[in-house]
Amino acid sequence: MGRRAFIGLVVGGTAGTLLTPIPWKLTDDASIWSQNWPWIPRVPNGDFELKPSLSKLDNSGVGVNVVTVKGRPCAVYGNPEHPLSRGGISSLAVNEAELLYSPSRVQSPLKREGDSLIPISWDDAKALLAEKLKAAGSDVACVSGDDTGSGTDVFSAFVAAAGSKLCFYMPAEQVDAGRAWQRLGGQGMVGYDIENADMVLAIGADIFESWGTHVRNAQAFNKANPMGGEQAMRVVYASPIKNRGAAVADAWVPVLPGSEAALALGIAYHLIQGGATSGGPGFEAFRSAVRSGYSPEKVQQATGLTPEQVADLAKRLASAKRPLVIAGSSFGQGGGQNAVAAGLALNLLLGRLNKAGGIYALPEAPAVVQGSMPRRQILANDFVDYMLKVGAEQTKAPAVLLAYEANPAYALPQTELMAQALDKVGFLVSFSSFMDETAAMADLVLPTPLVMERTEDMYTPYGSGWVNYTVATPVIAPVFDAVPAADVLLQVASGLGHNLGFESFEDVVKAKAEALNAMGGFAAGAKAEPWKVRVGGGAPSSSGVSDAVQAGKAWVSMATVNASGLSLAKAAAGQAAAPAGGEFPLVLAPLFELNVGSSKVAIPPHNVSTIRDTEAANGHFFVRMNSATASKYGTGQGKQVTIASKTGSIKARVSIDEGVMDGVVAAPLGFGHTAWDKFAQNKGDNVSKVLTVASEPGVAAPFWAGSMVKIA
Amino acid sequence: MVQQNASKESGGFILFFLIGLVGALAVGWLLFPALLYSEKQQPIAFNHKAHVENAGMACEDCHSYRENGSFAGLPTTEQCAECHMDVTGGETPGEKEIDRFVTEYVQAGKQVDWLVYQYQPDNVYFSHIAHDGFACAECHPDVGNSEVPPSLYRNRITGYSKNTMKMWQCERCHAQLETSNGCQVCHK
Amino acid sequence: MSVQREFHTKWGMVIDLDKCTGCGACMVACQVENNIAPTPDASDMTRVLTWMLVYKLENKQKFPNYDVAYLPRPCMQCENPSCVPVCPVVATTKDEEGGIVSQIYPRCIGCRYCMAACPYHVRYFNWFDPQWPAGMEKTLTPFSSTRPRGVVEKCHFCHHRFMAAKEKARATGGEPMKLAEDAYIPACVEACPTGALIFGNLKDPTHQVAKLSHSKNAKRLLERLGGKPQVYYMSKRQWVLDMLDNDLGDGSHGGVTGGGNHG
Repeated sequence: MGRRAFIGLVVGGTAGTLLTPIPWKLTDDASIWSQNWPWIPRVPNGDFELKPSLSKLDNSGVGVNVVTVKGRPCAVYGNPEHPLSRGGISSLAVNEAELLYSPSRVQSPLKREGDSLIPISWDDAKALLAEKLKAAGSDVACVSGDDTGSGTDVFSAFVAAAGSKLCFYMPAEQVDAGRAWQRLGGQGMVGYDIENADMVLAIGADIFESWGTHVRNAQAFNKANPMGGEQAMRVVYASPIKNRGAAVADAWVPVLPGSEAALALGIAYHLIQGGATSGGPGFEAFRSAVRSGYSPEKVQQATGLTPEQVADLAKRLASAKRPLVIAGSSFGQGGGQNAVAAGLALNLLLGRLNKAGGIYALPEAPAVVQGSMPRRQILANDFVDYMLKVGAEQTKAPAVLLAYEANPAYALPQTELMAQALDKVGFLVSFSSFMDETAAMADLVLPTPLVMERTEDMYTPYGSGWVNYTVATPVIAPVFDAVPAADVLLQVASGLGHNLGFESFEDVVKAKAEALNAMGGFAAGAKAEPWKVRVGGGAPSSSGVSDAVQAGKAWVSMATVNASGLSLAKAAAGQAAAPAGGEFPLVLAPLFELNVGSSKVAIPPHNVSTIRDTEAANGHFFVRMNSATASKYGTGQGKQVTIASKTGSIKARVSIDEGVMDGVVAAPLGFGHTAWDKFAQNKGDNVSKVLTVASEPGVAAPFWAGSMVKIA
Repeated sequence: MVQQNASKESGGFILFFLIGLVGALAVGWLLFPALLYSEKQQPIAFNHKAHVENAGMACEDCHSYRENGSFAGLPTTEQCAECHMDVTGGETPGEKEIDRFVTEYVQAGKQVDWLVYQYQPDNVYFSHIAHDGFACAECHPDVGNSEVPPSLYRNRITGYSKNTMKMWQCERCHAQLETSNGCQVCHK
Repeated sequence: MSVQREFHTKWGMVIDLDKCTGCGACMVACQVENNIAPTPDASDMTRVLTWMLVYKLENKQKFPNYDVAYLPRPCMQCENPSCVPVCPVVATTKDEEGGIVSQIYPRCIGCRYCMAACPYHVRYFNWFDPQWPAGMEKTLTPFSSTRPRGVVEKCHFCHHRFMAAKEKARATGGEPMKLAEDAYIPACVEACPTGALIFGNLKDPTHQVAKLSHSKNAKRLLERLGGKPQVYYMSKRQWVLDMLDNDLGDGSHGGVTGGGNHG
């Protein structure tokens, strides 16, 4: 072929190609291809459903609706029909679907071999557990991070069947509150009718973030404060730092951490001066205890508030129509009983017992598991106290410790000492969904399904103003090789010859629903709102518990128990006292902010972006103090500091926050995880390390609000 | 000589030009489409006509809206099994295909991976109920009248079906009907 | 300047800054709903995608006169958006009934002019391909396509919920272009436990937002720039309202959006 012929062929070929779809179609297709990069995940398409479930990642107890596509959960919304949610949801609970695939999920049973945990089969795991429990005999203890589910009943029944009394709750607000209620002679549990209150004084208790049914509390505030409408509820919040709750409260009263009881009793002083009386037993003793121990001068030393400020709070309460006082720890634990008891005393002084917008005595959950310990009995045991004694070798460590939904290796005060005490345990078993700090040091890790993957129940979380019961049934089969902890324990129990009366946890829940019927109640919903029923508005037709919970609804009862035994005699223990300075001159105010996790769950992947760069960045986290405190101790914005207490120290940077009281260091809990995953790790330090356990005045139980620290 | 050479070479040019042109046209119009698309058959040779004519079913009996107005698309195995729960034991090709469906999917509890002729990518949002006034076959291949489902031709580059409607087609119709052509009307 | 279009429906939000506790539920709900990949580290906030972002506003007073407010910031969906006219490829438009500013990812070429133009920092650039921890991609929602690196994205008031509400209206004999107040609510508004955010049609007098947007306590962010956001903020606190203009406390206004801590 000649040159010209070749050129002819090429030109002809080119011209021809241009008259075909090749160049145009290829260009188009290439651009379409580029819009669907194959390495980016595709999104699902298909049957879309909402399935009711429950979130137990925090204390709010919200019922949720799980969005599923082709049966697979992809998002979680607050359930508008659930009275503890009303459509709202916490920054933790909203992660429920994503956490199914958390990189921290325990994917199979694990057994310790030397320094590592190796996967084993469920049969081997159960055999190992049975063997250890058999050898331990009655030398077994359990700690539970869940006080609303029947799972804990199975654990306590198991421990009791083995002949041990050592069943504990992890430290939590509801534990202190339960004990305080009992100390005043209360039966059952205390409930707070927040929705019907026209003024809420929260002392310490961060009611919108961490205290009790916080999503429901926030919704009560929401509905009573319609945008641009009439305000039906005022909120006054006393806390050491102008935190989230204080940002929306009508008034903020700065008060030193650990002095919540002093403030409440200081208010009681003014109310009594104004003629208030409880009309019930123990009032005389209370009055003299308040007059001698909580005079305005003493209260000023303890709280940092002037007598006028305290008197003003008393006046506000006295002039409100339906005031409600909620007292507790500002960080959801360690606040002891005195604060709660003093708060309850205020409610009694204000005549708020069994009144709309006041407090109610609610019945405890009926016992169904054979031999399970009543709540009262578990509350009498203190895990921190026990572990301190184990650590000091005053008490022998248990041969087997069962940790259920609990992460004591991270979440106990004086964390490092507690971890050493945990190390002394003969055989530590962690029933956990996640590879948390406790699982990481356990001898046996038994993966539990998340609530969405199992049957789970919830009876009246602390704070609820009425009895409520919600049951979640599995939305999806466990995505990993996880088995409900209670089922494992029931099987092992029957192998050991303990009869707990049930073969499966599902049957336990059914029996509980059956037993609850005796209280009489109804299925809650948008047209059956418990707070309206409480004040006599439109009683809905009664409904069986099983029918209600099977329909995915919360079952609610207005049942109360006799509260005539309540006495103020022991409501004012100890004396108001200024924080003991000395070597550790600063008061530590831990912050419990849910977006960085709870004592059960570490920072979920999607929550990392909610952390401001003034809260944590580049591996470190920030403690907060006001500029006066910072300059007094020679530090300032961005400076690195070591915060030390008697029992430990943490490294942090300083963020100047004028919302912190003088002489106070505020520090967020939830950072400094060593287990979990890359989303939770490499972020700051664990503030629990510097929490110092003291003996609560007048109670002699562990107490760690108002821990003292120094800047080293 | 120069002249002769020129004419000879120019003749060669035209000839080869034509060869190149025709060859390229043939490659572009015949070979290229055959190469660009892979041909796929439905996993089950579903007979639409038998369902519509013999069983008297309407399109929306199987291709229905959900309560919230979204389009359920293709029926699930469970829906098909409402009628086809048992093997027929018959000998005709149709009955054999039904039996294959019953044994391989209904009894095995599996979903059929039906091929969708007009699959749209993730970034496209399409509401069937908003287009309820149009006949199905105005956009879809007229499978309702087919005895054997047509092959699906899948573009090897983009992964899309040959029948997938392109954006300009959507836009043209929207423009003609004076419906919004706002970007997010169709994109997500 | 673009020619401003008027719409019969103007979706808008009213955010009560006196009700926001800054808990972050809106931010997480948004990420889950819209398939935003999680990030192991948020130290560099310019690399993190937060369609909804809660800022912290402080009154710059010393203890005990200090005050704080939290400001959730979605896309303002400006009536007169500055991001739209600068887009060289028409990947972002305000061309649909409802007035939501769209962002079409496959069309975006990643030039980021829109990001430079937006005074509210609502636009985010994908510096990386989105990555979910192994398995977590199974929890992606059907609501939004995933975005590759190199494109800009932003809040669209959960536009898919608008579409779903219209579908539902069609299925139930309602009027798709005249939705009831609760028919279409973005994920952040739905999740908020204190009800600090409400949503609706600013042009429908039966919707709460229409009334509240005219309240004397309502104001838009950086009003003087003329973007006319469809998001209104309310507060009874004057310093908070002043902060919305980026008031520097001496009557002057800052040239940048300072005042709050980013992130």
